[in-house]
Amino acid sequence: MNGVHDLGGMQDMGAITPETGEPVFHAAWEGRAYGLTRAMGGWRLWNLDAVRYQRELIAPASYFRMSYYERWIEGLLELMLKNKLVTRSEIDSGRPDAHAANRAPTFTAEKIPAFVAKGVPARRNVDVATNFRVGQRVRGLNLNPIGHTRLPRYARGKVGTVDRDHGVFVFPDTNALFLGEKPQHVYSVRFAARELWGEQASPRDVVYIDMWEDYLAPA
Amino acid sequence: MTDADSAIAELGYGGLQGEQMIVVENTTDVHNLVVCTLCSCYPWPVLGLPPTWYKSNAYRSRSVIDPRGVLREFGLEIGESVEVRVWDSTAELRYLVLPEQPKESVGWSEERLAALVTHDAMIGVSKVASPIAGKAI
Repeated sequence: MNGVHDLGGMQDMGAITPETGEPVFHAAWEGRAYGLTRAMGGWRLWNLDAVRYQRELIAPASYFRMSYYERWIEGLLELMLKNKLVTRSEIDSGRPDAHAANRAPTFTAEKIPAFVAKGVPARRNVDVATNFRVGQRVRGLNLNPIGHTRLPRYARGKVGTVDRDHGVFVFPDTNALFLGEKPQHVYSVRFAARELWGEQASPRDVVYIDMWEDYLAPA
Repeated sequence: MTDADSAIAELGYGGLQGEQMIVVENTTDVHNLVVCTLCSCYPWPVLGLPPTWYKSNAYRSRSVIDPRGVLREFGLEIGESVEVRVWDSTAELRYLVLPEQPKESVGWSEERLAALVTHDAMIGVSKVASPIAGKAI
């Protein structure tokens, strides 16, 4: 969606201000936000693309007001509500509703190391047509879906060169909406900085964007 | 460089948010910078969870349009003859920068070299400092 999360190229976002010796979590609740998100994923009711999309759906003013892990909590609560893992009254009270169902999760603490070590590969071992080849000039399509996409606005309509074929991966645009994995090739596409940003940009610099087959047309 | 997953796995690392790794090499002619403009994708198994600045609106927005300005904020000035390559982690490939090796450290053991390398150098916002105090690469 054309949301405020699609930040590439936006200006006036202020200085970067790195913090030296930054802790992994600035408060215990941030660690819990991280852990809860992982744990709730264990119910296997959604996927990573749906998680990202849910955060993108946060209202713009809230998105900018929230800290990083606040966005995680907000996105997680909406997913849990949608999937009936929790009710609004339970979120507000912090206590289970009377007559709430009691379920024991199958994703338990001792399973976590193996889960983290394996990860959640998005690559798919299927034979899918390759429509673009390394060295080919391609154009980012002018797609503006209201659902989830990983095609940033700054790449739409822009011409680049295929640098690499990464192989076949799950397609986030359909996967986030539970419309199927639609596995397809992902290409690393190289764009000249001046193609993306005009003459103000360095004549030498480039931006590489990983793009799914469905985002591209021959240029 | 050709099979980052295997090389990294040999050292015992891999998994969640690093299932497909790509290593990009800094040279005298090329400087690489990694970002995720759309959210905060970062190679967790090798670098841990990302720092707040990496996830900030400022870094996410500016890295792709003004990488040299971003690097300047980190105290790094890149010469005009050097090509800056910004990698926007839009898919599930995770990028790691192989920093330039300081000349003075050539021939050093893995352990000594590891002590020189920083998280920031592996994302591309800094270079590995020369082991000779006060001398930039």
